[in-house]
Amino acid sequence: MSQAIYKLVDDLPTGGLTVMALKALDFVIPGQWQNLVGFDNTIRTVTGETDPALVKQIGERAVTLFNDKSQGYQRALWLYETVDSASGLLGTAALANRIGQDTFLGFLQNFTPKPEKAQSIDLGVKLVTEIVAFCQINGIPGDSVGDFLAAIADYSGESLMRMAALVCFDGIIPLGPTFAEQALNTLTGTTATELDSNPTFKGVKDLIPGNNPAGKLNFITQSFATTRGWMETFVSSHGITRDKLLGNLRSVVEFTDDKADYVGALLDMNVKYYRHTGIQTLGRRLVERAVAEI
Amino acid sequence: MLMVRWRRVLAPLFLSLLLLVTACGPAAPPSPYAQVQEETTQRGAAPAVAPEATQGAQFNRFFPASGEGYQVVPAQEKKGFAEYKLKRDGKDVAMLAINDTTSTGAAAKFAQSTEKIGGYPAVDQGTQATAVLVGDRYQVKVLSRDDGFTRADRVAWLEKFDLNGLANLK
Repeated sequence: MSQAIYKLVDDLPTGGLTVMALKALDFVIPGQWQNLVGFDNTIRTVTGETDPALVKQIGERAVTLFNDKSQGYQRALWLYETVDSASGLLGTAALANRIGQDTFLGFLQNFTPKPEKAQSIDLGVKLVTEIVAFCQINGIPGDSVGDFLAAIADYSGESLMRMAALVCFDGIIPLGPTFAEQALNTLTGTTATELDSNPTFKGVKDLIPGNNPAGKLNFITQSFATTRGWMETFVSSHGITRDKLLGNLRSVVEFTDDKADYVGALLDMNVKYYRHTGIQTLGRRLVERAVAEI
Repeated sequence: MLMVRWRRVLAPLFLSLLLLVTACGPAAPPSPYAQVQEETTQRGAAPAVAPEATQGAQFNRFFPASGEGYQVVPAQEKKGFAEYKLKRDGKDVAMLAINDTTSTGAAAKFAQSTEKIGGYPAVDQGTQATAVLVGDRYQVKVLSRDDGFTRADRVAWLEKFDLNGLANLK
């Protein structure tokens, strides 16, 4: 049986590692993200309406829209949930690889992908997942490519926080300040077979455009190249550095400087930011549509 | 020896007791959405959007354009629905939407309408929304997202839509 959207939104946590890690990014986009949880609370906050009968009417339409599989909302939820859990597997692989580099168990490297390569693919797959989920939720709004880009550029709230977390947790922390250039170079040098063995890609590949792994790899590389400028501007205009990020993350997880390399893998395994903010985005968009349609 | 046996018996006893207590505990009240959840997930449930509903892409050309310090930014476009954000100084001040009421029965509320905007029956809904019904089928709605965006602003923006063009949409 499919999950109930009101229960998913009601059950979103107000604390824990994911929420704390996202709050640690508040310095990047101050005040943009409030951890909005609770289905009726989301309706009241988004619409500004408080009459219980009206709130219920909006909620019922939102539930109806979500439950109609042809509307794309359930596919978007599946994407947000799957990319997070598949990426956690990557964290395990990356951690095993770090151990492999640091200890006599060097032979482990033969069995685990190099973190840089895996992280680059991970970053590319997550970015494309966002684009595909956006289209499942919002359609392709407007009449032109320019309209579509304007809609993407207008990211705010939890959607912008998800992108901030992508850039910080999956870009800067594991790959460093030149992550976008580095990841694009890596993606360009990746073969379809390598992509096909990446756990994050395997999780969501069915919904990534392209007839085969080579076509999908092309779509990922193209999408990454198109959004690279946005990511680099985002980092420079918000003054994000790896040191600042690690400094803020010390409030979430304790680690010493020589263990900073492990932070990326730890975040990967424990912070489910795609799912958390993805459900918030779904709730918000469903409510926005429902209140306009009733 | 006896002690050990007692301990062996105690563990399952406690476990059974725990399960019993948990099972008899007060059940969570059913969600107000439990009924609609059941109705819309059962086999053969009616689709959320009617098959004959107009594609959202058909609505784009009837929306007002950006201007006078306001930006009209595309937000959602689904079958039977299109929505734009209205922004001023980078801030969302309102949402502009057109939807096909064949899917929802939302047209019924206009039977009580006592006012016309742009020549079409209009209603207020809640405290933040004003809507008109065009051609007995398409609902055009403006929803405030900022305290400074008043009912008068909603009426003014409803009048900026190409309502007559929408009425002629086949």
